[in-house]
Amino acid sequence: MDHALSQLLMMRLRGGLRQRFLQLASLRGLLFSLAFGGIIWFLIASNNSSDTSFLGSATLDRQALSAQILTFMPLSMLGLSLLTVLMTTGPTFHFSPNEINFLFTGPFRRRDLILYKFGAYVAGVALTSAFITLIAPPQTGSALSVFIASLLTLVFVQLNSAVIGMSGQALDGSRFARMRWPAIVVLFAIAAATVLYAWVTPDRGIIELLSEFRYSWIGTIILIPYIVFAELFVAPSFSHLAFWVLVAVIINAALLRVVIVLDARTTDRSLIENARLSSRWERIKQGGSFFATQRTEVHSIRRAPILGGLGPIAWRQILNALRNSFKLIIIFAGLAACIAPISSALGAPVTEAHTLMIVYVFIAFILPRNLVCDFRGDLSRMEIYKTLPIAPWRICAGQLVVQVLLAYAIALTIIASALVFEDSVTTQVALVLAAFALPLMLLIYAVENTVHLLFPIKLVAMGRADFEFLGRSIVEFIAKTLFVFAAMAASGAVGLVTFKTMGTTLVLPGLASWLTLTLIGLLTLVALQYAFRRFAVAETID
Amino acid sequence: MLGKEQMIKVTNFSKQYKGFTAVKNLSFSVEPGQILGLLGPNGAGKTTTLRTLCGIIPPSSGSLLVAGHDVAQAPIEAKKNLGYIPDDPRLFDTMTVWEHLAFTAAAYRLGDFEKDAEALLASFELTHKRDTLVHNLSRGMRQKVAIACAFLHDPKVILFDEPLTGLDPQGIRGIQQAIRDRAQAGAAIIISSHLLSLFENLCTHIMVLNLGECRRFGTMEDLLSEVGHTDSTSALEEVYFSITQASDQTSEGAGV
Repeated sequence: MDHALSQLLMMRLRGGLRQRFLQLASLRGLLFSLAFGGIIWFLIASNNSSDTSFLGSATLDRQALSAQILTFMPLSMLGLSLLTVLMTTGPTFHFSPNEINFLFTGPFRRRDLILYKFGAYVAGVALTSAFITLIAPPQTGSALSVFIASLLTLVFVQLNSAVIGMSGQALDGSRFARMRWPAIVVLFAIAAATVLYAWVTPDRGIIELLSEFRYSWIGTIILIPYIVFAELFVAPSFSHLAFWVLVAVIINAALLRVVIVLDARTTDRSLIENARLSSRWERIKQGGSFFATQRTEVHSIRRAPILGGLGPIAWRQILNALRNSFKLIIIFAGLAACIAPISSALGAPVTEAHTLMIVYVFIAFILPRNLVCDFRGDLSRMEIYKTLPIAPWRICAGQLVVQVLLAYAIALTIIASALVFEDSVTTQVALVLAAFALPLMLLIYAVENTVHLLFPIKLVAMGRADFEFLGRSIVEFIAKTLFVFAAMAASGAVGLVTFKTMGTTLVLPGLASWLTLTLIGLLTLVALQYAFRRFAVAETID
Repeated sequence: MLGKEQMIKVTNFSKQYKGFTAVKNLSFSVEPGQILGLLGPNGAGKTTTLRTLCGIIPPSSGSLLVAGHDVAQAPIEAKKNLGYIPDDPRLFDTMTVWEHLAFTAAAYRLGDFEKDAEALLASFELTHKRDTLVHNLSRGMRQKVAIACAFLHDPKVILFDEPLTGLDPQGIRGIQQAIRDRAQAGAAIIISSHLLSLFENLCTHIMVLNLGECRRFGTMEDLLSEVGHTDSTSALEEVYFSITQASDQTSEGAGV
């Protein structure tokens, strides 16, 4: 790599570290970073404890874990590659507008620029690998082997995606490119046929079929490059590890070479994709979604509903959901539909505490972090809302309604999937869950938005090691969980008291409980209105 | 009944931020048809005044009336009569140009807005961009969309914060004409800008702010006669620099 670029890389790394230390200099940054450190410590401690593993893997010994890694890791990596083929968009190595202005006009070869970007990626991946090493279960092996395996695997994933993406770009317009969609359709058909076969054959589930494919001769041939990286994680001795590391390094080096060769053919396209991705990132920083529509023009909806002022706000969020987050909604609905069958296949039904906790994390942490159709995505547009002649409570309700209904639809998908796949979930149980899910979603998002307006913060982390951001996200989640659990406990208590005083039927206690939860949700809406009124739009002193 | 002279009436308005006074005891009024130019260096309190007038920031003290309605006491009624164009138009990037107008119409409860919306699109040369998602527009175009939205409900009071930023010469001419037309139609207008030529072309009144206080307030003619210039831009320049340099010397003297 060019000397100046190596220097730039080092300076950027030092700058990144300096930024992290500066975060620690403020009380808030220090507290959130400590909170993040505490959570990591808890994960490490619980992983090392044989009884209370957070990841629930304490029961697996090293042999069983190795078998699972060898079986499913290559399959997962193949799935990821296929997903890359399906969604092959965006630049393979993303250069920011600043890098394009400075470096592309500088006396550097493209090869050096790719190596520079690759170096930056490896530095980031090293940090991620260190994190994986910290939380990896002890059965995985020594810290060094986990670190090396993670590092090489993550580098492979990036290079593999880059090669797939660049090949797609290089072949764009050729007859090979025309085969992409038929090939995808065939693959989907095979996947659907497999699922259908597993569905109608009681003694053979998806897991067994995938396992059979993995160890068949055709499966082994297809999965050979991915198996190398699975072997890294399960190497029984140092000599085995050294061998597989050598093979993995050769594969990665070969892929890097292919990237450099392909880059010469895709420079123009790469520049376009870079510009597109940069504008996407800008929109994400403003609360947009990575999956937002890329179209320039769409058919305009002629009129917005008024509904006493609530209509236009909700309408704006509906359009936002449809054009900004539609793909994300489909992905989340798909994931929600898969929760019950997967947990059932893994022998951990959704009624179990562990699975319920994962479902809760999905609904109350992962979903709100990604699906943003409320105030959180509109902080830069608060000026507009503040100048509208609409009562604050209507603005708040309008902002929440779409987000709550979308989250509710995803919750209903989980419930419906549990009803189909879990014997213990009866129709009555599903109906009760569906009834309570709505006020629960209202509560979750009212709290989420209130906290966000009271303590506004960026929606995306500043790089991989933004511990303040990560710490804050976790602290927010814990605070929200405490509030939601307290509300649920209050709702349950009211139901219990009603049951004790009113008689044997469960209808009235259930209704009382539901009304209590709804009331708490509505009261939180009042708090949200207060937060909206109090929100200070960028106090520019000019 | 609202008096003609009271379309915008600000009395003893002050705004403090955490111990810092951004605006201090500001009082002025704007009549229908008048265009008031807010002039002053960065940090003078121009944007704070505009943002408080349109209800974004609450005042620390004093009263601000828009079309006879107190912005703090009756914000909804005040905002119904108000159009605000910020310096950096933050639009909804998943909505088209037309949908911004439809949104504004619903927010201001305008039943029949299509004809006016079409006319605004035509006047700002946005007709062909009607179905374009706004994040694909240039900054100048986005500024025009923001102005079209602010004009749609025919507000009696219009506040512009740096209205010409990012506009091409044609756009500048168009916006200036639109401001004149609105004033002639009876709107009371306040413009905050650093462009002295804009004040020369448009404003009937000028207020010079510095360090949150009003240093000069009067008609353009008053200023010209005060400074003794026939050229209004030179007069404004002289007033501007005499005020800012005087305050610089004051602060230097205080520091000695």
